[in-house]
Amino acid sequence: MELDLDESSLAIGRIERALSRIEKALADRANRPESAGAAPAADQSALKAEVAAVIGELDRLIAEADRG
Amino acid sequence: MADVKLTIAGRPYDLHCEDGQESQLLQLAAVVDEKAREMPGGTEVRQLLFAALMLADDAQDAKGKIEKSEPQSDSLRAAVALAESREATARDELRAAVTREQAALKELEAVLQAGPAAAPSTKPAHDRALLQIADRIEALAAKVEQLP
Repeated sequence: MELDLDESSLAIGRIERALSRIEKALADRANRPESAGAAPAADQSALKAEVAAVIGELDRLIAEADRG
Repeated sequence: MADVKLTIAGRPYDLHCEDGQESQLLQLAAVVDEKAREMPGGTEVRQLLFAALMLADDAQDAKGKIEKSEPQSDSLRAAVALAESREATARDELRAAVTREQAALKELEAVLQAGPAAAPSTKPAHDRALLQIADRIEALAAKVEQLP
């Protein structure tokens, strides 16, 4: 019986933790009324661009992995 | 034609028969003579009469036995035919089972040969993709956390 934690399990663990960090950071921002809408427009759009880029990259990687 | 001398109930007879049948004729005459001698003391005609009656009785017995054995022969023939048919069916079933088993074995061999080769080729790609996804999401998380 193999009990090794393989690379994919480790990567999934990292992804879950990173998503929790993002969720927590966004919840913290929402609970700060004075700064919720205070982020500069440039930062907002940079963040949106980064999220879109990451999502696009994820789609590409998932498609690549599906093709083997 | 062949000439044959027979002696039945003490009287000699000269007969003709086809060539090659002399010994059979002598054998039949011996049977009649034996039956005739079983009634000693009577006239020659009576001896021959009893011999004829006893031979007719033997012939009837033999005929009865043949008729009685015919149904048995029929049922034996039927049993043999049934057994042969069942044996043929069993042989066909066995042959089909062997064929199925060979096909299943080939399939299993193909799966075993393809299995180990296919797995390693896709798994590293998936692992690589997951690691890259983890890198990107961790970088994004760091940026979100650094937002003012």
